[in-house]
Amino acid sequence: MKHYEVEILDAKTRDKLCFLDKVEPNATIAEIKNLFTKSHPQWYPARQSLRLDPKGKSLKDEDVLQNLPVGTTATLYFRDLGAQISWVTVFLTEYAGPLLIYLLFYFRVPFIYGPKYDFISSKHSVVHLACICHSFHYIKRLLETIFVHRFSHGTMPLRNIFKNCTYYWGFAAWMAYYINHPLYTPPTYGDEQVKLALIIFLFCQLGNFSIHIALRNLRPAGSKTRKIPYPTKNPFTWLFLLVSCPNYTYEVGSWIGFAIMTQCLPVALFSLVGFIQMTIWAKGKHRSYLKEFRDYPPLRSPIVPFLL
Amino acid sequence: MSRVFLTWAVTHSVKEVQNEDSVLLFVVAWTITEIIRYSFYTFSLLNHLPYLIKWARYTLFIVLYPMGVSGELLTIYAALPFVRQAGLYSISLPNKYNFSFDYYTFLILVMISYIPIFPQLYFHMLHQRRKVLSHTEEHKKSE
Repeated sequence: MKHYEVEILDAKTRDKLCFLDKVEPNATIAEIKNLFTKSHPQWYPARQSLRLDPKGKSLKDEDVLQNLPVGTTATLYFRDLGAQISWVTVFLTEYAGPLLIYLLFYFRVPFIYGPKYDFISSKHSVVHLACICHSFHYIKRLLETIFVHRFSHGTMPLRNIFKNCTYYWGFAAWMAYYINHPLYTPPTYGDEQVKLALIIFLFCQLGNFSIHIALRNLRPAGSKTRKIPYPTKNPFTWLFLLVSCPNYTYEVGSWIGFAIMTQCLPVALFSLVGFIQMTIWAKGKHRSYLKEFRDYPPLRSPIVPFLL
Repeated sequence: MSRVFLTWAVTHSVKEVQNEDSVLLFVVAWTITEIIRYSFYTFSLLNHLPYLIKWARYTLFIVLYPMGVSGELLTIYAALPFVRQAGLYSISLPNKYNFSFDYYTFLILVMISYIPIFPQLYFHMLHQRRKVLSHTEEHKKSE
């Protein structure tokens, strides 16, 4: 069996960083990254981007050396992706924050509203319901992160955790401040409004969860397979007939429900910002589905049936 | 961005500051800056940029920029008591949108934001000056 030689150059400076000889032809990029780490331990595999062309796309971990358009001496270019942090860590941190922060405001911990209100609970029933819903939402997210989601990338750049936590924690504090405020005004249409909002919220929570389960079942454990999602026996998944990312659709729906329930402008603004971000993600996902699968259902739109 | 804010959200909205000297200060600074800046763009587009304009754009800011910033900050500061008194652009609890906004506090935060932002922009311009003006010197020497 002929062995390959692999030389790794810096993509920017073209410096020779590493020379690997006697590499198996069926070695994967992942294995090569591990070998590279041996000589440069500060560049662990997650922060390596190896490509065939200095300005080209990163090679995937699963790519096999002999299947690449290289000679028996392969030249790979390296770019440092910067310090990485695992998706699971980021998700757990960014979701645990809102859960705890909201509760601080709900229980009226000192130094927020003034000594007269410390640890006094609100007299409005909707405020208690809102706390249950908000907490349920983030507990659900934490559990999904641990038990349901199957991530295709293990890591993301470290700076993202600061950006993401600022967003989630900041908005959680902002919303919680008003909902749990002693001067909070309950919804204009009273119990009817709260009931309707709760139904919307629960419906969308179930919907969102159903989609997460459906997506999980598309991908075997430990793999990175990508398949077209289709509706299953669960009626909540029938939204796949109309949109590519029904999980985002249901997520926006949940927050709209919460906004109606609390009749709180900051909640509406949070829903809007979330909607904008999720629309960007949905359009991207929709585009990659269309590129990857010739037989992708044409009726589907990214996030809002027929419209967006 | 800060131009629109100072003009509309501060000076126009708070009539009482319109006679302040600080307003004159930033208006003069902005006016001179813009006349030079747009001449720079115009001549650049015509591929005939007199060195004087390039020099002026990358040198006069050293004085004009702090002048403008001082005028802006003093104007905002002068507006504060009137904003507080009138409750300008502010909404307080309780209300049916469960939202509040205090323009007075907002203005104070804006003033504080000058502290990190101004040095960054100023040093960036100084850095640009070094790059652009020394480049021209080399050009002239090589001719």
